[in-house]
Amino acid sequence: MNHTLTRWRRALGIAIAGISMLTVTAASAASTVTVWCWDTNFNGAAMREAAARYNVNHPDVTINIDDSATQDDIRAKLQTQLLAGNTQGLPDIVLIQDDVAQKYLQSFPGAFEPLSDAIDMSAFAPYKVAAATFEGKSYSLPFDSGVTGVFYRSDYLADAGYKAADLKDITWDQFIEIGKTVKAKTGHNLIALDLNGDGLIRVMMQSAGKWYFNADGSLNILGNAPLKAALETYAKIWAADIVKPVSGWTDFTGAFTSGDTTVALDGVWMTGTVKSKPELSGKWAVAPIPKLAGIDGATNYSNEGGSSWYVLSSAPAKADAIDFLKTIWGGDADFYQKILVGQGAFTSWLPARDGEAYKSTDAFFGGQAVWQDFSDWQAKIPGVDYGTFTAEVDAAVIAQLPSITQGGSVDAALQAINDQATQQMQ
Amino acid sequence: MSAVARLRRGLVYVALSLAAFVSIFPFYWMIVGSTNKSADIVVGKATPGFDLFNNVATFFATVDVPRVFWNSTFLAVVGTIVTLLVSSLAGYGFEMFRSRFRERIFALLLLLLSIPFAALMVPLFVLVSQMKLVNTATAVILPGIASIFIVFYFRQATKAFPTELRDAARIDGLKEWQIFVYVYLPVMRSTYAAATIIVFLANWNNYLWPLIVLQTVDNKTVTLVVSALTSAYVPDYGMILVGTVLATLPTLIIFFLLQRQFVEGLTGSVK
Amino acid sequence: MAQANLSRNERISGWVFIAPALVLLGVFMIYPIIWSLWMSFQVGKGMNFSFGGFTNIIRMTKDPVFIRALTNTLIFLVVQVPIMIFLALVFANALNDPSLRFRALFRTAIFLPCVTSLIAYSTLFKSMFAGDGVINKALLAVHIIAEPIAWFADPFWAKVVIILAITWRWTGYNMVFYLAAMQNIDRSIYEAARIDGVPAWARFRYLTIPMLKPVILFTTVISTIGTLQLFDEVYNFTAGTGGPSDSTLTLSLYIYNLTFKFMPSFGYAATVSWVIVVIVGILSFLQFLVARDRRPAA
Repeated sequence: MNHTLTRWRRALGIAIAGISMLTVTAASAASTVTVWCWDTNFNGAAMREAAARYNVNHPDVTINIDDSATQDDIRAKLQTQLLAGNTQGLPDIVLIQDDVAQKYLQSFPGAFEPLSDAIDMSAFAPYKVAAATFEGKSYSLPFDSGVTGVFYRSDYLADAGYKAADLKDITWDQFIEIGKTVKAKTGHNLIALDLNGDGLIRVMMQSAGKWYFNADGSLNILGNAPLKAALETYAKIWAADIVKPVSGWTDFTGAFTSGDTTVALDGVWMTGTVKSKPELSGKWAVAPIPKLAGIDGATNYSNEGGSSWYVLSSAPAKADAIDFLKTIWGGDADFYQKILVGQGAFTSWLPARDGEAYKSTDAFFGGQAVWQDFSDWQAKIPGVDYGTFTAEVDAAVIAQLPSITQGGSVDAALQAINDQATQQMQ
Repeated sequence: MSAVARLRRGLVYVALSLAAFVSIFPFYWMIVGSTNKSADIVVGKATPGFDLFNNVATFFATVDVPRVFWNSTFLAVVGTIVTLLVSSLAGYGFEMFRSRFRERIFALLLLLLSIPFAALMVPLFVLVSQMKLVNTATAVILPGIASIFIVFYFRQATKAFPTELRDAARIDGLKEWQIFVYVYLPVMRSTYAAATIIVFLANWNNYLWPLIVLQTVDNKTVTLVVSALTSAYVPDYGMILVGTVLATLPTLIIFFLLQRQFVEGLTGSVK
Repeated sequence: MAQANLSRNERISGWVFIAPALVLLGVFMIYPIIWSLWMSFQVGKGMNFSFGGFTNIIRMTKDPVFIRALTNTLIFLVVQVPIMIFLALVFANALNDPSLRFRALFRTAIFLPCVTSLIAYSTLFKSMFAGDGVINKALLAVHIIAEPIAWFADPFWAKVVIILAITWRWTGYNMVFYLAAMQNIDRSIYEAARIDGVPAWARFRYLTIPMLKPVILFTTVISTIGTLQLFDEVYNFTAGTGGPSDSTLTLSLYIYNLTFKFMPSFGYAATVSWVIVVIVGILSFLQFLVARDRRPAA
């Protein structure tokens, strides 16, 4: 039927010959590497750049990039095929978000190829490598960093009497005070929050080097001081009446791009969105995130999102795939300058920071050397083991958010999270 | 018309206009959005802008438009024709030739209709991959052809089919298949028209199964590709809305073409 | 209809007409269904399964998330399906009047929602129902409410928005079935009733509705199953969480999460899927009982 389809297309004179023929032969020829990723202008574009660079010296390897599916869709496809035991349709390289990686590595043992034997992992930010390490081997080539920062409207803060230094190395309580003052003086809410997500709680928790689990993978909720402090802080932010409630991504990004809220506290990948209004050049700046006061190991550095490349063990061209990742993604400093400028892709490959692009300053952020700042912060992010049940616990946490924002007891919420998560993890 | 009748008629117009407005508005917004910049759409601009050509250009540069539209059209048209044929035959069969055993089969089918597709997807994929059909149009179309939903619809609609027509045809010496083709098909025109719209819409928007079973970019459908555009860190809503408008048009055209069939009434053949 | 004594010809034809459908269903439904039934007795994560007997069913009864999903789904069903069926019938009836002007326009307009892309309408609905969205502004302006409603932060209002959204999307779709069926009603019956002075509402109630009964039954069954499998709206409106506080979590969304979002737990997901089948079975049985009780009277 596929052939019928192809014939039909020819009959209609639609030019398909090139790529279609390549895909048909993909299974047999060892020189085609197929890649699945999900954002044409971001990871897809970065991958295309990498492929072009690799092909200069390896013209025999064709790198076929499929970025025509959403991230959720890629998970659904990957999972269905791994469960069905059918690997013929799987790619050679797939992009997976860091916090779900352990789930795949442990659910489908042997499905992914360890990369730490072939590639030097010490050149990458340690917290990224930790996320993909299972039974002593690391399985991913780390891609973009999710190092967090507070993007803030320096003009609003100036109107309220604050300087850049006032945001350096502060605690959440100080941050909330600033938010209240800014709101009183300028009328702008501090931050937009969506009750259908617990990203901020996770950012706070990781900034103190903790996650939902103990080292042995068991649930750690009731005695988890950073989590408790994060929930309390979250409740305080809402109670201070400095939150713009939003629903969904568009609403969320619209809140700060439209000038409604004062800050966006997100991963470095938000830079592009923050800069989407060129007329606001010079009115934005970036600071490290606030710190949880009174918590052991608390820092001003954390991570949100970010993903990495994995090689499938079943891939016919896996040797080429690994060589490609090693050569470009694990060794080409110039490449990383190019995708930082082109796609705003901030790498977790540490040597990249010495390149020209990483040293540049940005007039949009008032001449701040933002990439150097993010590089400094990235090196200090506490590494955590995301475990295999993050999604289950996230769902349990999100279910409690409305109650704690309305003044409900945090201890009761922790108990409820613990109960639901315990039930879901069986 | 009496004053009361005129008042009632007026109320009907008001109610319908209100319903029409509420129904059209998101569609209008989608079209207006496709003429605006992403940054304006995000902040809720609802007036036409000047970025339509930009958005169209970006969409055509990002998506292989002729190919994905051809894939979608092929799958939807072939799928619709075969589904209507197989399922209307079965609906007719279940209603016109009732037996206790077939009634039981029918009741079982209705129950099976309620199983969520997600629960059947993995075994269906195993099946299709054993048949070596992964990444083919056959794999997309085949599992949907015998649609319990459409069988059920035709069976219910057939209840209004006058049996006297069948009996008369039998007396005239027509075979059963001839009765179906020459008597039933023309009489049930409005039912077929409605079913065509419904099946085409379902095929065109089919998401989960094509997603799983189609592997290469060159086989993907409009629905899959447009939806994927939304998962970007910085989605370009202008381009996405151009895509959604284009993806909506075929179903709308089918509706425009076929609506006469089920609203202008049948002339003669039944009554 | 004479079905008691089918001739030999009819017995064979009965099978011939349904054979293609039955063969296809046999291949593409039976195997997956048996697999899913078998899976519902398996426990384990990922690819490590073992026979667990009724473990999954016991787990379900103790699973607060499942209970919430089931409750929400039933609430959606009981509230939404009757409203939508009623509206669709009323619109179809109004649009079936040949003397009405702009019929084609109204018809197309009311059908539009089900072809409007999910991406576009969910984005728009979210912005309209935002805290400072147009809906709150309008309600404030006419003094129906004193302060903005937090539509997506309040478990009650979040359900209301979902119900509004699915009613908006599927009313025109159901209307199409009624319009098509109304063509099979003989217009002369209406004329006769009109001349006899039967009022419009009575013609609707005592002529139209009984004649459309098979199709109403059909749309009710389809809408019931559709609502029991409700997924698109909750997934898109709540970033896949079914929030706030699981107040819009449906069985289908939960099955999706168990399958693709959480550590894959296929056995349990299959068990939850079969709950929908059981609900439909129970509803059909109730409908059968009601129909049987009525028969002697009618």
